[in-house]
Amino acid sequence: MDFIIGGAYQGKLDYAKKQFGVTDEQIFTCSETDGIRFGARCIHRLEEFTLWSVRNGKDATEIFKGHESEWRGSVLICCDIFCGVVPMGADMRTWREMTGRLCAYLSGEAESVTRLFCGLPQRLA
Amino acid sequence: MNVLISGGCKNGKSGFAQDIAVKLSGNGKRYYVATMIPYDGEDRSRIARHIEDRAGMGFETLEIGRDIASCLDGAESDSTFLVDSITALLLNELFPETHNGDADPEAAERCRSGLLKLAASAGNAVFVTDYIYSDAIRYDSFTENYRAALASLDRALAEVCETVIELCAGNVIFHKGGLPE
Repeated sequence: MDFIIGGAYQGKLDYAKKQFGVTDEQIFTCSETDGIRFGARCIHRLEEFTLWSVRNGKDATEIFKGHESEWRGSVLICCDIFCGVVPMGADMRTWREMTGRLCAYLSGEAESVTRLFCGLPQRLA
Repeated sequence: MNVLISGGCKNGKSGFAQDIAVKLSGNGKRYYVATMIPYDGEDRSRIARHIEDRAGMGFETLEIGRDIASCLDGAESDSTFLVDSITALLLNELFPETHNGDADPEAAERCRSGLLKLAASAGNAVFVTDYIYSDAIRYDSFTENYRAALASLDRALAEVCETVIELCAGNVIFHKGGLPE
């Protein structure tokens, strides 16, 4: 699994396509309403999946651990939403923390971790 | 050469950018392109602080809130331009003087072509922008569009600049290239 992280609009998906040969058809984009679908070559917007998890009373990292064999070969992409000010709403606070924990877990499991900054890749691990 | 500097607020970007611009310009002409159009006392005191910071550094200040490439008009070709900041420039372009309250959809493209023209034509250019992309907030559509547009300008500049730097609490992280000794 290769893990790509970075701020909003920094070029994470473009990098996944360029670096790992991901095609549009291979991308699953998570959403707050529908969650995630494991097995896709590239899973994009994991932060939307964590928000779905919060809304549905689930723990995103535990869900990932339960589907390990399905994402081992994937490119996973998440926005680093956990760098800003602590949000006022309880759900948003849980979302921020759950995303941070999931990213820390995935970084530990990844073959490569890359942060995108202004479209430029920075290899973290 | 062209340098892009990004990072969080009050992390030392402007001061570092001034030092780089002085170094790059050598004995050549150096311009400080101030893009902020002050709207209130807070803006004016921020501008006063910046003017004080760069006093004695040999910059000629050009106040250009829109049409950024116009700073080239009448300038010597080997001049060094410090543009501070892309963030304010985009905001000004979104709301032209004659606007009716709606954001101008052409603003980002106007900024992009002006900035790329400046990068291509200037002897040296140092661009300061702001990193506003890593928080857990659901913004309204205007703010979200603004963030997306600013990021597109950052990425366009990062592509053409020889050096891209992130300032973090005054510390320098090189994302691309380097700086002359």
